[in-house]
This record gives sequence, structure tokens and C-alpha cells, in this order.
Amino acid sequence: MKAALRSRWAQAGLVILAIFVLVAALAPVIAPYSPTNSSFSPLASPSLRHLLGTTQLGQDIFSQLVWGTRGTLEIGFLTGLFATALGVLVGIGGGYLGGPTDSVLNALTNVFLVIPGLPLIIITAAYITTKSQLPIILIISFTGWAWGARVLRSQTLSLRQREFILAARLVGESPLRIVVSEVLPNMLSLIAANFIGAAIYGILSAAGLQFIGLGNVNAVTWGTMLFWAQSQGALLSGAWLWILAPGAAIALVGTALGMLNFGIDELTNPRLRAGVKKLPKPVPAGTPEVGALLSLQEIEAGYQTAAGPLTAVRGVSLAVKPGEFLGIAGESGCGKSTLAFAALGLLRPPGAVYRGSSYLAGVDLLALTPAQRRPYLWRDASFVFQASMNALNPVIRVRDHVLDTARAHGLPPAEAIERATALLQQFEIPAHFLDAYSFQLSGGMKQRVVLALSLLLRPKLILMDEPTTALDVVVQRLIMQQIEWILGELGVSIVFITHDFSLLVEISDRIAIMYAGTVVEQGPAAEIYAHPLHPYTQGLIRSFPPMSGERQVLHGIPGHPPGLGEKLSGCPFFARCSARLEGVCDQAVPALLAQGDQHTVACHLYGQPPPVAAPTAVGEAR
Amino acid sequence: MRYLLQRVAILLITGWAALTINFLIPRLMPGNPVETMIAKFQGRISTTAIHALELQFGLHSHQGWWLQYLDYWRNILTGHLGVSVTYYPQSVGSVLAQSVPWTVGLVGLSTVIAFLAGTLIGIRSAWRRGRLGADLSVPVALFLNSTPYFWFALILLYAFAFLLSWFPLSGGAASSGSPQGLAYLGSLAYHGTLPLLTLVITSLGGWLLTMRNNMLSTVSEDYVAFAQARGLPEGQVMYRYAARNAILPSFTAFAMAIGFVISGTLLTEIVFSYPGVGFILYQAVTSLDYPLMQAIFLFISLAVLAANFIADLVYILVDPRAREGR
Repeated sequence: MKAALRSRWAQAGLVILAIFVLVAALAPVIAPYSPTNSSFSPLASPSLRHLLGTTQLGQDIFSQLVWGTRGTLEIGFLTGLFATALGVLVGIGGGYLGGPTDSVLNALTNVFLVIPGLPLIIITAAYITTKSQLPIILIISFTGWAWGARVLRSQTLSLRQREFILAARLVGESPLRIVVSEVLPNMLSLIAANFIGAAIYGILSAAGLQFIGLGNVNAVTWGTMLFWAQSQGALLSGAWLWILAPGAAIALVGTALGMLNFGIDELTNPRLRAGVKKLPKPVPAGTPEVGALLSLQEIEAGYQTAAGPLTAVRGVSLAVKPGEFLGIAGESGCGKSTLAFAALGLLRPPGAVYRGSSYLAGVDLLALTPAQRRPYLWRDASFVFQASMNALNPVIRVRDHVLDTARAHGLPPAEAIERATALLQQFEIPAHFLDAYSFQLSGGMKQRVVLALSLLLRPKLILMDEPTTALDVVVQRLIMQQIEWILGELGVSIVFITHDFSLLVEISDRIAIMYAGTVVEQGPAAEIYAHPLHPYTQGLIRSFPPMSGERQVLHGIPGHPPGLGEKLSGCPFFARCSARLEGVCDQAVPALLAQGDQHTVACHLYGQPPPVAAPTAVGEAR
Repeated sequence: MRYLLQRVAILLITGWAALTINFLIPRLMPGNPVETMIAKFQGRISTTAIHALELQFGLHSHQGWWLQYLDYWRNILTGHLGVSVTYYPQSVGSVLAQSVPWTVGLVGLSTVIAFLAGTLIGIRSAWRRGRLGADLSVPVALFLNSTPYFWFALILLYAFAFLLSWFPLSGGAASSGSPQGLAYLGSLAYHGTLPLLTLVITSLGGWLLTMRNNMLSTVSEDYVAFAQARGLPEGQVMYRYAARNAILPSFTAFAMAIGFVISGTLLTEIVFSYPGVGFILYQAVTSLDYPLMQAIFLFISLAVLAANFIADLVYILVDPRAREGR
């Protein structure tokens, strides 16, 4: 709840609402006259004596407005209360109990969801002859509970499967106790949203009802004010404030409640939270490496949060030569996916590139506007996603994905289909799947369709972000074989990102090891595997079984990498390193330095600040 | 197919429930509706009419509820909805028949316009989130969403009909002239503009907010990022990839929305004295014409059900997953 109030919307709504509640509470103090006192001259224009003028019957409109606040908020509050109670009872009760009870209650909810509320209220109210507010409130509540019940039911159904509820049931607690002490507290924000929604519904419905003269028209509310104003020809006699004020007040209270609900929505669905401001283009850095197809220069990227910018990639420079297979390995959270998205300028808010350049065949993609960048995307560099499961638009066919891509880059449709058919065949997918929707494809098929799409425009480079992670081992192997084919037959450069170091060893030309947003070691694949220099790389290799050879004991690396927001004063691996040099490694960030021909490593054990311990320390650590 | 059958089943159950509620209300409410009516009309109702009313509401009847319920169904299925007291001796059916086209036209047209406009603004407001113009649409939509229809109708009536005289103060069409030809169409537009405007503007906010929320959830889906990675034009990504998926939940929200629009139409018609169902409902309420009220509720319930069913059919057309029975 507190978090919801941090939303700008909720705050604004709360302030407006507080003013109205204050007016309602202090009505006797604020209102200059009694709302029913009709001793003034009728239809007086606004003046200091009568701020909003007087009615046909000679009542002070401002006093009626003030007192009407009380009556109207009362209706809203009570309707909210009753409708929410009904919704909670039916929704949570049905959802928790399940079985036939739930079926009946759910059917009932669906019926009430569809039956039009106001007409039902009108004809029901028309039968009621007692002149009191309560029956109207009850009838409105009775027609307004269904939406809440539906939302609460589906939430209860998902809560019921959660561990803490299951545990409570196993212990043998009574259903009532579980609902009251475990389920309800977890749905407070939904229930609050429901209450607010029902209150708005109540105020609007009651106003409509009173406007046509149903209910107690002698009560003082904004709705009855409108009824009297209309029936006594307020507009025709020019007393437009008499109409304007109560209606505007209703709309304003409704808006305030709506804003409060909006804040709660943002709390329960983080995707709705206000967008962050657009950042200027990143500061360019460096020049493209000679002979490289893709050259990343000092990329710094991260995510903007309410608490400030977080850095996920801390100045990474990498290069890929034509036809080369570059493997990037690192544990989850090391910034490798962020780097891939950043390289193609595809990071979406709140993600942002703060600094650096990404030269693709000499063109800095990050210095372009999105519109300028589009022609290069997919034509020169395509991107296979980590979650290709959801990469296809569920409502259009595979064929449409092909054609959309072709059209955006000027490839004739007939040729595109021809190419796609051939590629699908290559990946062992029958051509008729061109007319399939993604829900008709298996996980492995989706991944291969995406691979086929990635080759459609014959790009020079494909970025692959964990393309095999969610797949089972057999499918994973199939995909790897097809990737080898792409590499061998088409001569495309591939950047392959994975947390699975063992996957890279045999297929990569070069491997880069990422840790906490930095590249800690980089070199030819065989060399990295045979002679890992960085203690982190050594740890990584020890934690995977070799492809062949004897069984051996595997080791993990204890500890966690530093958080995204952390400012580094030394080596990011310091806290977990078994070979760390106190007073050296925690004092300066190690630079990536050459060790031999093509091998680079960022570690104080290899040069730079005078080595306190010899590199043999690593050997001992083994 | 399975989806369709499921929808038909829900349609039938809900229809039965609505009709049963319609049967129960006069019998469950305290007091005697016929006596109230007789008192109100002070002997202007014939004894045969009173007898018919008593039968209809199950008063002084020794029949059990069961038999009354069967009679009720027989009457509905044969179209015998009773005699209107307000428009005596016209039957309730014929009174309803005259007013239905007006309301259906108004609700249909305003729903289509508000849905399209609100959805379109919602899409763009979500896509351009973070910019002032786009974010400002939220409080505006919230305000419109909680504006009482009838109040907004009054304001429009005062400004454009009373003060400026651009539009007529009341009615649905010019009373003279045959209901044909261009002139008649012009007169329809002349009378219908303000009611239509009221409904479109006040119901647009809801569609806008619904679409904006759906869109914000969809924008972070992988298929949108994948479309961007393929270098597709921005408009195509926004509409064909994001909005095309984000609009699907709007069809399920239709059930709620159409009920609100109809409620709004009833009150709007009253303000503009527009000769639709809302206007005769008002006449029925003020003169306690219970048979007419019941018939109107019956009609509105069935109309809402029909509209929902149409929304479900459209849903089948736009979502392949529903089409394939998933």
C-alpha cells in the first residue's frame, strides 16, 4: 500500500480526495447556510453572499454543494464497502473452495457481469416506495460486485497454488483461517482497487438514478441537486452554475479515485510504471578496430531506475572478424545480454547505453537515430533471442514474419518465400509450416524458424543470445549442428552468448569471459580452455564437466557477483577470488592486458601493480 | 469451434438468468405494483387492464410461482409483453418497437466511434509514454471516464443548442416530412449529433485506459523486440505487432463496457428528449408503468447479450488461437 502511494498519480488523487473528505467532514463549518434554507431570493446571480447563486426555490447553491459532498461520499463509501464485501465473498470464497461451489459462483459472476447495471437498478428502484438512501445503495452494490469478484477469484486461484498456502493446508488449518490470515493479506491492493472502482460506480450510478427522480430526492447530494436543477429549468433560466458545479464535483471525485486506482495498478503491474526520460545518444568512443566486422568500443550500458541509473555493462570493447565465431561466456547477470542488445542499439527503456560505440562495418550504430539504424538491422546483423519461444507474433503466420522482414528491406516477396522455404528445409521444417502460427510450433521448431528468419537477408553477422537455453538436450544438439552449418557453409560471423562455457569450447574461434559487466579474459578458444589465466575463468572451467575424459570432481565458485548499482574500486571478482592480493586487487580496477599473442586478461596477478605474489599462486589454488 | 460452443452456452445461461431476474423483481419487491399504479392513474385504467396487470405480476393469483413462471415464458416466446399504461391502449411491444431503432443506432454508432478513437489514442499514448502529450491523456481519460453522461449532455445542450442554437433542443428528427431521402438523413444528423457526441466523448476514456494498459504490457513482449531487431518500420511494429495483440483483451472487456454505454444512452436520451428506449423508460418510471419497464429491461438485457455475442465472434476472427480451439 505504501508503495502505491509513492506513485505520482496516487498522490495527486489522494490530495484531491482529502480535500473533498475534509469538506464533507466540516460541512457545518464551511457551508454558510443550511442547504434546505429557502428564504433567499430565487435564482440570484453569484455574489459574495451566495458564491454560486441561489436555486429556483431560493436555496444557497454553495451550501448545497458543500452538504452534498457529505451525502455523495457517503453513497460512494457504502457502495464501495458493500460491493467489495460481496465481491470478496463470492470471488475469494469460490476461488478458494473450488469444486461445484466455485462453478455456481463463477456462473453467477458471469451473469451479473453481463446484465446491464443501470437499467436493473432503475427498474428495481422504481418498485421501492420507501424514501430512504439505503435500499438504493444496496441495489447499486448488488449490481456492481461482479467485476471485482472475477478479478479476486483469478488471483485466489493462483495464490492457492503457492507454497505458503499449501503448507498451511498441510498443517491442517481451517479454510476460514487460511483465507483470513494468508489469502486476504496478500490481496489487499486488489481489494483496495476493487473498493475504489465500486465507489466510483456507486457515485455515478446514484447520480444517474437521482437525476431521473428515483431514490430519495429530498436528500442533499450532488445527484439530487442535478435533479432539482433540471426539473426546475436551471439552464433555461441561466443558472448554469447550478448544473455545472455538482456535475464537475462528481467528475472530479471520480478522477481522484481513478488516479488512486491507477497508482495501485502501477504497483501490481510494474510494466505500467511511468516511463523514464529519453537519454541523449551515448558519447561515442574509440575508432573501429582494423579488419573487424563488428567492433564494440567501451560500451557502458545499464538500466535507469527510480533509485538512479544502474550499470550492467562497464566499458566493454570487443571485436569480431568476418567469418569468426566469438563465444561470450559468463554467469547470469554478468551483462552479456544487455551487451548484445546495446550493440545493435536495441536496448529499450528503462535500458540505455550511456557511452561507447558499436561499429558495424565501420558505421557507428549507436550514433544513428532509430530510423537511420533500421536499414542496417537484420540486413547486416541479425539477432536470435534468448527467448525465441515468444519471438514470433502469436496472431500472424510464419509467412507474414518472412514477408514483413523482406518488405522492410526491399527483398521481393517471391524471392523471400523461396529463400525461407529453402532455409526451413535446411533446418528440417516442412514448407507447409510457413502457414503455421507460433502456437502450432514446438519450442525447438520455433527456435529453428527464428534461425531461418535470421538468415533470410544473408547478413554478415548473427548475434545469438542463449539460443539453446530453454530447449532439451536433444533439440539443443540439433540446433548446435545447424549453427555449425551456418558457420561453415555461409561464412557468417557469429557472436554466441551463453552461460554454458562447455558449449563454446569446441565451436568457437575466440572466447571472451564476462564478469560483472566487464570482459575479464579473452583469447583463442583452445588457449583459454588449456591455459585459463583469470581465476574466474579457471573457476568456470572447473564447474563444468569436460566433453571427454575421466570423471572428476566439479567445483562451483562460492559467493555472488557485485550488484549492478555497486561502484567498483578494485577487481570485481575480488570478494570471490581465491588468489586475491589484499591491498592490490581491492585498490585498483585491473586493465585488460595482453598475455602472449592474442590472449588478454584483466587480473593483477599478471603484471601491472608490482606483483606481490608470483603467478604460481594460481597453481596452488588449484 | 469449441470456443464458439462455449460462448453459445454462456449466452443461453445468461439470457435465461436475465429473463428470470426480470420475472422475479416485481414479485420480490415489497408492496403491490398494481395498487400503486391504480392509485397513480386514479381510475383511468379499465378493469380489464387491471385484471391483465394482476395476472402479469402474479397478484391475487392462486397459481404457484412455477405456473406463473411458465406463463411468463409463454408470453415472452409468443411476444405478449402486456399493455402499456402510459401509452394505453398501445401494447408494450409496439411502444418498444418504435423506440428501439433510435437507441440501437445511437449506441451502435457511438460505441464503434468511441472504441476506434479511444483505442487509437490509447495505442499512441502507450507508445509515446514519457512525453507530456502522451502522459496527459491519462488524467483526461480518467476525468472523462468519471463524468456523468447526463451532466455532460446537459452542458452540450446548454452550450450548443440553447446558447448557440447550432443544434435542436430536443427530438430525434424533424416531425414533418416522410422518413426517407437526403433531407431526412440530414435531419437525423442534425438531431443526433449532440447525443452522439456526448456518448462518444464520455465513453472514449474507458477504451483509452484499457488499451493503454494492455499496450504497455504488450510492448515489453519479446515479439515486439524481435520485430524491432528485424528493422521493421515503427508504425508496423506499433500496430501489427504490439497493438494487434494488445487489442485482444479489449474484446473481453466489451461485456462491461456495453452495459455502461447503454446506461449512458438511457440518461443521454432523457436529456435530449431523444425518442429512444431511454426516453420511454423515463416516461415509464415517472408514471410507474411497470409492464413497460419490464419489457425495456428485457430488451436491454437481450441487446447487451447480443452485442457480447458479436464481440465474441469478432474475437474469433482476430485471434487464431481462439479459432483453433485453444
